[in-house]
Amino acid sequence: MLKFALKHMFTKRARMALVALSVIISATVGLLAYNVSSQINDGIQASAVYYDIIIGPAGSSTQLAMNTMFFTDKPLGTISYDYVDELMATGLVNRAVPMTMGDSYNASRVVGTAAELLEDKALKEGRLFETDELYAAVVGSKVASQYSLEPGDTMITSHGLSSAGTQHAASPYTVVGILETTHTNYDNTVFTSYKTVWAVHGHEEEHGEHEEAEETETPAQTAQERADVMSHTARGTTAQTHAEEDEDEEGHAHEGEVCAILVKTKSPAAYSRITDAYSGNSSLLVINPATVLREVLSQVDTSTQIVYALCAVILVMNILVISVITLLNLIDSKKEITLMRTIGISMKHVGEVYLVQNALLGLVSTLVALVLSHASLALINTYTVGMGIVTDPYRIYPFEWLIALTVFVISVLPTMISIGAMARRDVIESR
Amino acid sequence: MIKTHSLVRRFDGFTIISYDDYVFEDGKSYVMLGASGCGKSTFLNMLAGVLSPSEGNVEIDGVNMTALSQHQRDSFRAANVGYIFQDFRLLEDMSVQDNIDILKLEGVDVSRSGALLKELGILSKRGRRVAQLSGGEKQRVAIARALVKQPSFILADEPTGNLNYAIGRKVTEELLKAARGKTLICVTHDDRLSELFDVVIDMNELAHAEECDTNA
Repeated sequence: MLKFALKHMFTKRARMALVALSVIISATVGLLAYNVSSQINDGIQASAVYYDIIIGPAGSSTQLAMNTMFFTDKPLGTISYDYVDELMATGLVNRAVPMTMGDSYNASRVVGTAAELLEDKALKEGRLFETDELYAAVVGSKVASQYSLEPGDTMITSHGLSSAGTQHAASPYTVVGILETTHTNYDNTVFTSYKTVWAVHGHEEEHGEHEEAEETETPAQTAQERADVMSHTARGTTAQTHAEEDEDEEGHAHEGEVCAILVKTKSPAAYSRITDAYSGNSSLLVINPATVLREVLSQVDTSTQIVYALCAVILVMNILVISVITLLNLIDSKKEITLMRTIGISMKHVGEVYLVQNALLGLVSTLVALVLSHASLALINTYTVGMGIVTDPYRIYPFEWLIALTVFVISVLPTMISIGAMARRDVIESR
Repeated sequence: MIKTHSLVRRFDGFTIISYDDYVFEDGKSYVMLGASGCGKSTFLNMLAGVLSPSEGNVEIDGVNMTALSQHQRDSFRAANVGYIFQDFRLLEDMSVQDNIDILKLEGVDVSRSGALLKELGILSKRGRRVAQLSGGEKQRVAIARALVKQPSFILADEPTGNLNYAIGRKVTEELLKAARGKTLICVTHDDRLSELFDVVIDMNELAHAEECDTNA
């Protein structure tokens, strides 16, 4: 049976190839559309907000959130590192993690931070850097695989957010650890101590690079001002935004400066007190990342709903296209079916031949569509990762199996129905 | 033995073909002559069970075929009837051997195919695609396919209709030779071949086609 069905299929290879192609294209588009939209949505939600406050220079709250949560967009500028000490001194926070940005390694961001930022991340190899350990870097899994980095390797970063910037050749980093794949922007980022970033820029300046005047202002904090935090009074800040600086220089943190501080407060009351204390300062931006991300997500949700609606339209069209194609294929085959029946082949066996053919065609096309959609996802990922959108080509949603099953069923069902109807009629009348 | 009783077939509610009763004895060859449109093919299709009569019945070896289900008629045809058509009814893109091997789906033993193809003079073509064969060769393939299962009854619908007279006669002779001892019923409009058969039936006299609104 199988041998005959395959031989028979082979004689109609051109038509079969066309049917398979149309099924593959339709199913691939449907699967890809669903997967991309789902992964983008999941990716945003996966960046679970552990920190409840982010403090940065005055500017766009979305920009600050995207910058610190997803390492995308440009930093707003810098603020004094003293705020970190100040926050810890309040006794109201569990953690205050500084974050500096402005350099890159090829197309990947270099984030200067404290080791605490990565404490909840699993390491594939090596170890985390110590905050006081200069020029030690932990790289994301994609950076490691893309540039074949291993612990012990050195890497030279560039000034600015593109690889076209001046290289910090005199200050190479040493890879000490590689993060496990997270399918978030951590995969495409290089982490080092914020002190390393300070050292790199201090070193370069000593050697005459970046000679342009930096408007770095050191906060003249007073004990009284620090106490103001506790007494809920707004205080002044010397944080300097660099919005008007040269684009490449924007957000570069020099010694004593950071781009943002991620804060985890000890309690809701502590959260309120810290928020109140800092939000009164017009030079600072204090955001709740969960709130900002919710706003972003609500906008993304609208987009997602549009994408889902498009997916639904595509899927319905796919179902129609595949049904029509398989039916047309069967109508073309009616003459042959009648021929087989007239020479004495029972409808049961004729049905089996066509069922085996369509099932094979449907199965192979569906599997190829699954593979193709994920291969396309991998290809898309190579372009979108630089934009901060990381997708996992190996992730298969249960709904994808449902789509695949639907495609398979509609490849076979019209044949079954049509053959069933033909079986009930006279051979001659079933033509 | 095949017997027909008061067979009538209506088409589209307008055309009625009614047939006299016939008896076809085992082992004899019959040729049914008739002009185009007199209902020869319809009659053969009803004998083969691929078309149900509107009235009357077909009895084969005492079994009323008309009362059987389509599936039962298919099974009977698969086991007992060899059918040969004017238009060959071959799978054009498959090989000669594949066209015979298709009967394996019904569990038919096709081991005789080599001998049959040799007898019909087309053994060397068994690996060829049917589309590459001449009309005479195609009809020989159809004959081989009809006979390989050693059917009790062979029905041939204008088997020489697509062949010139000389080749048609040769093919008919080969068919009669290969079908020796079987019941062969052949319908044709070419009365020049009638001398080759045991019994000649003139359907122009025995079948009555008329056009009327049968729904009225």
